[in-house]
Amino acid sequence: MEVQSLPVDYLPILFQMLVALGFVVLTMTITHLIGPKRKTADKLSPFEAGIEVVGNARTPVSIKYFLVAILFVLFDIEVIFMYPWAVNFREFGVEGLIEMFIFMATLLLGYIYVIKKKAIEWGD
Amino acid sequence: MLLINLVWLVPLFPLVGFLINGLGRNVLPKGVIGFIGSLSILLSFIVSIGIFTELNASDIKSFYIPLFDWIHTAAVKVPFAFQIDPLSSIMLLIVTGIGFLIHVYSIGYMKLDNGFGKYFSYLNLFIFFMLLLILGSNYVVMFIGWEGVGLCSYLLIGFWFTNPSFATAAKKAFVMNRIGDLGFLIAIFIIFATFGSVEFGDVFMQAAKMESGNTTLLWITMLLFVGAIGKSAQIPLFTWLPDAMAGPTPVSALIHAATMVTGGVYMIIRSNILFTLSPVTLHLVAVIGIITAILAAAIAVSQTDIKKVLAYSTVSQLGYMFLGLGVGAYTGALFHVITHAFFKALLFLCAGSVIHAMSNEQDMRKMGGLKKKLPITFVTMMAGTLAISGIPPFSGFFSKDEILAHAYEQSPLLWVIGVITALLTSFYMFRMLYLTFYKGFRGTQEQEHHLHESPATMTIPLVILAILAVFGGLIGIPEVFGGHHWLAGFLAPIFEHPGLVIVAETPMNHSTELILMAVSVGGAIIAALYAYSRYVKGSHIPAVDGSSRDLLSKLSYNKFYVDEVYEFIIGRPLNALSSFFYKIIDKGAIDGFVNGLGKATSEGSKVLRLLQSGNVGFYIFMMITGIVALLVYGFYNI
Amino acid sequence: MSALITITILALLLLYLGLFKAKKALLPVALIGLMVALVLSLMEWDSNAAPIFSNMMLYDRFAVAFSGITIFLTILIIALSKDYFERISSNVAEYYALILFSLAGIILMVSYHNLSMLFIGIEIMSVSLYILAGIKKRDFASNEAALKYFLMGAFSTGILLFGVTLIYGASGSFDLEGIKQYILKDPTAVSPLLYTGITLLIVGLSFKVGAAPFHFWVPDVYEGSPSLISAYMSTVVKVAGFAAFLRLIMFSFAPLQDFWIPMIIGMSVLSLLIGNVTAVYQQHFKRMLAYSSISHVGYMLFAIIALNGSSDNAVFVYAAAYSVATIIAFGVLILLQGQVGNDSFDSFNGLARKNPFLALTLTIAMLSLAGIPLTAGFIGKFMMFSKALSSYHIFLVVFAALNAMIGIFYYFKVIVAMYFKEEDRKELIVPVYFKLVLGFSALVTIALGVYPDFIASLI
Repeated sequence: MEVQSLPVDYLPILFQMLVALGFVVLTMTITHLIGPKRKTADKLSPFEAGIEVVGNARTPVSIKYFLVAILFVLFDIEVIFMYPWAVNFREFGVEGLIEMFIFMATLLLGYIYVIKKKAIEWGD
Repeated sequence: MLLINLVWLVPLFPLVGFLINGLGRNVLPKGVIGFIGSLSILLSFIVSIGIFTELNASDIKSFYIPLFDWIHTAAVKVPFAFQIDPLSSIMLLIVTGIGFLIHVYSIGYMKLDNGFGKYFSYLNLFIFFMLLLILGSNYVVMFIGWEGVGLCSYLLIGFWFTNPSFATAAKKAFVMNRIGDLGFLIAIFIIFATFGSVEFGDVFMQAAKMESGNTTLLWITMLLFVGAIGKSAQIPLFTWLPDAMAGPTPVSALIHAATMVTGGVYMIIRSNILFTLSPVTLHLVAVIGIITAILAAAIAVSQTDIKKVLAYSTVSQLGYMFLGLGVGAYTGALFHVITHAFFKALLFLCAGSVIHAMSNEQDMRKMGGLKKKLPITFVTMMAGTLAISGIPPFSGFFSKDEILAHAYEQSPLLWVIGVITALLTSFYMFRMLYLTFYKGFRGTQEQEHHLHESPATMTIPLVILAILAVFGGLIGIPEVFGGHHWLAGFLAPIFEHPGLVIVAETPMNHSTELILMAVSVGGAIIAALYAYSRYVKGSHIPAVDGSSRDLLSKLSYNKFYVDEVYEFIIGRPLNALSSFFYKIIDKGAIDGFVNGLGKATSEGSKVLRLLQSGNVGFYIFMMITGIVALLVYGFYNI
Repeated sequence: MSALITITILALLLLYLGLFKAKKALLPVALIGLMVALVLSLMEWDSNAAPIFSNMMLYDRFAVAFSGITIFLTILIIALSKDYFERISSNVAEYYALILFSLAGIILMVSYHNLSMLFIGIEIMSVSLYILAGIKKRDFASNEAALKYFLMGAFSTGILLFGVTLIYGASGSFDLEGIKQYILKDPTAVSPLLYTGITLLIVGLSFKVGAAPFHFWVPDVYEGSPSLISAYMSTVVKVAGFAAFLRLIMFSFAPLQDFWIPMIIGMSVLSLLIGNVTAVYQQHFKRMLAYSSISHVGYMLFAIIALNGSSDNAVFVYAAAYSVATIIAFGVLILLQGQVGNDSFDSFNGLARKNPFLALTLTIAMLSLAGIPLTAGFIGKFMMFSKALSSYHIFLVVFAALNAMIGIFYYFKVIVAMYFKEEDRKELIVPVYFKLVLGFSALVTIALGVYPDFIASLI
């Protein structure tokens, strides 16, 4: 096997890593160095949409919150599949239409399941 | 050829009988077990008769019936196939016929034994293996049967295994047989290496093209002969047979007289072409045979146990058969196998009947005068004795004299020793007969009280066997008496080999033959008369154990110290060697290594399990280490 | 492909059965559906299969055989689940559905023709398993198992994906055929990226099958997970991982043997050593099974080391033998844990007297795992060893034989405990489903051991 060409071939990976790492380090250092620093009590306190801070930031949040968030992301993401389909609607023809309906039906099944499981009902 | 193609039925019946009796030994009543056991053999016998008649009527004298491919690789091909020809069909008749009679006899003999079911299943299994031995169309199938009968004889000799000396006898039989088996096995290997096949047909066809005296053939035949020596109890491996009398008496009749021990003879007859082509082996066979014959006869002369006498007489008669083989009288040897099967089975069963009547007493010194109490047994035993002693026209006369006549052609010396053996045979057989049945009773009161003739299941086989022992010789009446020796004609195809010219025997001068016969018959009669004068007219009873004897009778009584000599030159050194291996090699080196390995493993286990710390960080670190190691390897290896 | 569709629809169906409170119907429907899937899958037996779905998948004999065996094993395991999930929680339907979803991923894993499909299959399977490992919500061990499995699994998936990327970078293709063509074009001038990619792919897949040194998750996860899920992971998942591994290597990387064979040998030796030696010291049956499963991976890697046309057969037979025996072992384990509450070797004492049937089937399973003749395990080991010998890896075989001896030691510990150690104990109650599965598996083990021909040259 080819032994001689090895270091050269790894060079691009090395460069990529260097650039990636370098960019992060560089930006962090530079903002740190060139940014002005004026520290006041208001500035050091946690920012919470202009409202006074109440209690600790690390309070437990209801699991429902995450559930709803994840369900939102899930169904939101599915829309992404609609765009390429819509763009190529003519080429896909009837077959594409049927396939999309199957896809949507599957999603709908999931949606019904979620509702039935009362996953998006907030109250207990 | 309907039945010949159904030949697989013959071994199938005993196998089925074995399975039924073996599985149902604790469930089925004794009557059913005995019936199934005997019926299975009877069915085999009927099929065998059919096969025999078909073969007799057929023009083709050899049938090959393949059942299935047993071993089938590129290099080795061993079909599981049977061969039907005059030799195997006659052996079938003997084994199943006599086997059936012995089964029937056993129903009466073993009636009170707890192991009745076990006994019959073993007996059926034995017949099954014996039939495989006979029917096999190649050396490997024959070897299966060969080993199988060895196994069954071990099981049956040690049937009453709670008695340690019986168990030892069984072990002895097994070990002695194994020595022979090794020879047989090596012979099979050499046969395969030489001929590329183990099928009788292929082997004999190729062997016929070889030169007489070929070294490979010499080796093969020598090793086959070693196998035969073990199975057929010849010098030096004969000592197991007398000890094997530990088993139930019908077993002795079946295994150690009529069937199993003839396996060696059968094998040599089957391989006759190989032996014919190696004269050196044949000479050895003859010499071993005659020495065994006379030595065993000399031992039998002074034995006091009725079964021991018969056992040594079996060894002696087997010696005759080997003598016949050695001088090329294959037909004579088979003839003697047949007649011997009749009269020896008869004698053993008679002895069994006597022992049965005597409440398991086997010592002839305690018998005597049983003639009136056991009339049927007496008459049949008389017939057997006359037959084995070679008194005309009983069956033993024809077969023995055929062998002796051929021995005379080969060398008068062999004949002389043979005749002396015949005298001894006649003497010890009549001695046994007289001691058992004549004069007054010498046993205890209680034994006398219990004396009775055996039940019909035992006496009917006796009568049938006695008829066979008397008239069995008629199948081979020599030309000198105007017969045409039917057996020789029937067997002739076995000894015909295309491409091989065996020098034709010069027919013997009839007057010489008659003189030879007269001498041996006369000798036998004189010996019988001498026994009469000694044990009936005189009141000679063998001395009790431990009393002083002269040298010759001491040698005879102690069986020429063969067992002791074996113990000294083989047993002791072997024991010493074995204890050396046990203590130093096995205990020290091998156990040390094995135990060390085990210890190392369990120690290693203790350490290695600590790797599994439960810490995910550590796990991932180890995984990264693995990945890095692989990458580094890859880096240097690309 | 109909098997995949059937299984997916079946999973959805089960979810809805759960919604509409038809709990009684779950198990029968799951079993019947899987049997239909099995039949449909076997009906696609075709020697000249062509890639389908724009070359994404190839349902060839290899795929049919392995999806058949995985579906078959899943049927056996699900049959053992009677009343099992009910004791854990009320969301029974979801568990069945998760198992079936992971099975759908497995079908992808054994029939992919494109690396992206391999990745998707592995992810579908793994994500379901992460949840299944943790279904005992209130049990710390189960939580720990799920978390560990997830963390390490995610890590290995990352590695695997990186490998796929590098291979794509080198060859410009995700397609197995395309990668093969790239390598064959000039095997001496293959980009180093590809070598690194192969290494990382091997690492990722070795993690999934649990080969040392990427086995660390195995004992902890198997032990912590509910026994039924452990059974699923150590049989179906392992077989699938191996099939995926073998498919990749046979299809695309065979020309580069000289590069990766030493790596596999190293992992095989390490797996044998760690699996067998560590198993010796274990006091608990389940943990012993976990280590022994590592050692079996070591044996199965032999087929990859001695790669040729019949490697798939060898792996198939070995995997079938190993899995069936393992299912018996886990079946008995589930009964024991449920009714005795303990799975140490001592808890097997005297089992043969009270439950002769259980003891017999477990003995057959142990003999098979130990590779004693007349059981399927022997045939599997025999095929593996003869494969390795045929490519002259004599020392490897000697080493493996030594390890097999060690294996006999700890497998026989169970048999000895059952038959030769006396203890007063209550008779275990064996439900009908268990009797069926255990008896059937034992029969299969013996049948394969006596007459292996009918699957030995299947593929």
